[in-house]
Amino acid sequence: MTNQSNETGEDQVNYDDMNKNRKYALLIEAHSQDLYKYALWLCKDKAMAEDVMQEAFLRAWKSLDSLREAKAAKGWLFTIFRREHARQFERKQFQYKDVESMDSIADAQMGYDDRPEAFALRNALVRLPQEYREPLEMQVLGGFSCDEIASVLDISASAVMTRLFRARKKMRQILGHESTPELGLVQDTRG
Amino acid sequence: MNCLEFKRLALSDPSSSEVSFVEHSDTCPDCLKYVGEVRQLDADLAESLNVEVPTDLKARLKLATEMQEESEQRSSISRYAIAASVAIALFVGGFMVSNQFGPQPGEIGKDYQKLLAAVVEHVNEQPMTPVWGNARAERTVNTLMASYDPSLSFNEIENLQFGRICPMGKYRGLHATLESANGQTTFAYIKGEPVGEMLDHSYEGYVARVKPVRGGNLVIVSRTQQSVDQAEVELQKAMVWDI
Ligand SMILES: [Zn+2]
Repeated sequence: MTNQSNETGEDQVNYDDMNKNRKYALLIEAHSQDLYKYALWLCKDKAMAEDVMQEAFLRAWKSLDSLREAKAAKGWLFTIFRREHARQFERKQFQYKDVESMDSIADAQMGYDDRPEAFALRNALVRLPQEYREPLEMQVLGGFSCDEIASVLDISASAVMTRLFRARKKMRQILGHESTPELGLVQDTRG
Repeated sequence: MNCLEFKRLALSDPSSSEVSFVEHSDTCPDCLKYVGEVRQLDADLAESLNVEVPTDLKARLKLATEMQEESEQRSSISRYAIAASVAIALFVGGFMVSNQFGPQPGEIGKDYQKLLAAVVEHVNEQPMTPVWGNARAERTVNTLMASYDPSLSFNEIENLQFGRICPMGKYRGLHATLESANGQTTFAYIKGEPVGEMLDHSYEGYVARVKPVRGGNLVIVSRTQQSVDQAEVELQKAMVWDI
């Protein structure tokens, strides 16, 4: 689907034979870039994105022994990050109350493509209900499969499929690619 | 698989390799076009969310953990010094240039007072920094430098005590300290357009200096003119550009 995932031969690495520092270096090498993009999008603030990432990596370091397979590393890391983000975001919410309001100048400052088309896409994504948006963000930004998303979000794979369906359906409607629901399956009343 | 089922799966998992999905798209031009649009939307969306990742991010993540480890290992004997008398902040600049945040290179010259204020305020906010052994401080600063600006190397400074990447105001840089007769010392290097000339400025009880250097600016903040001068001489010897 997306070509965001760039593990190359990473998945075949046997973590058990590896010392902790090496394992950690590989984790950073393979996943910090995707995680940064995800983090920035979630936090909408560079300093906070890095803060949360740094905390998440510290936690990852501390429980690195529990990570046995390289192919599980990304989901594991994103799970840690999401938990840390929820924790910190709750704590800092009063300071970051404006992050939900999007404007193209703020986007450009964060380094995002400032063309109107790109802004429209991000704006459409923001307008999705959270439960639809989350799996789509993970798929598009993290390159996760439906099964991986299911395990990170702790829901069934079929629930992930349904949410992804609704997310893309609604994106297409917001962007005018699809005028009205034609498949009879989009019944969300959440606006 | 009929067209309705196909479109449903296309929206859930447009890269599905399910046999019936692939077969349907081979025989139904309408659905092939549909899944093509969905894939394009995904690609466009991914592109709209793409940003340049800071070049020193990986180094910072490694260092943060290393520092945490070391501070836990010797927490009982950890020494902290108050950077009260002298403070210099070393900015490994250009983070903001490379990630399109903060002033563009051409604006840095105009922005020097903001820069000084950011450094001094950061020092005020964080008056305590750890005192490391020289070897560790050297290693840390060199790692950060290398990840940021491969053309710049940092030669031995025997009184280097500490270095860390910190956000300072709207900038981000390496906050490093030197030991001096009257306490700690910090300094800053910002990659970008050098200011035209050296400027001294007093700010909240500090003497602050911006010095244009190759490829950027050095920011020095301290309590006394003498400490600024001394640090400047030391840094002049220590910072070496390849090109
Ligand atoms: Zn069809």
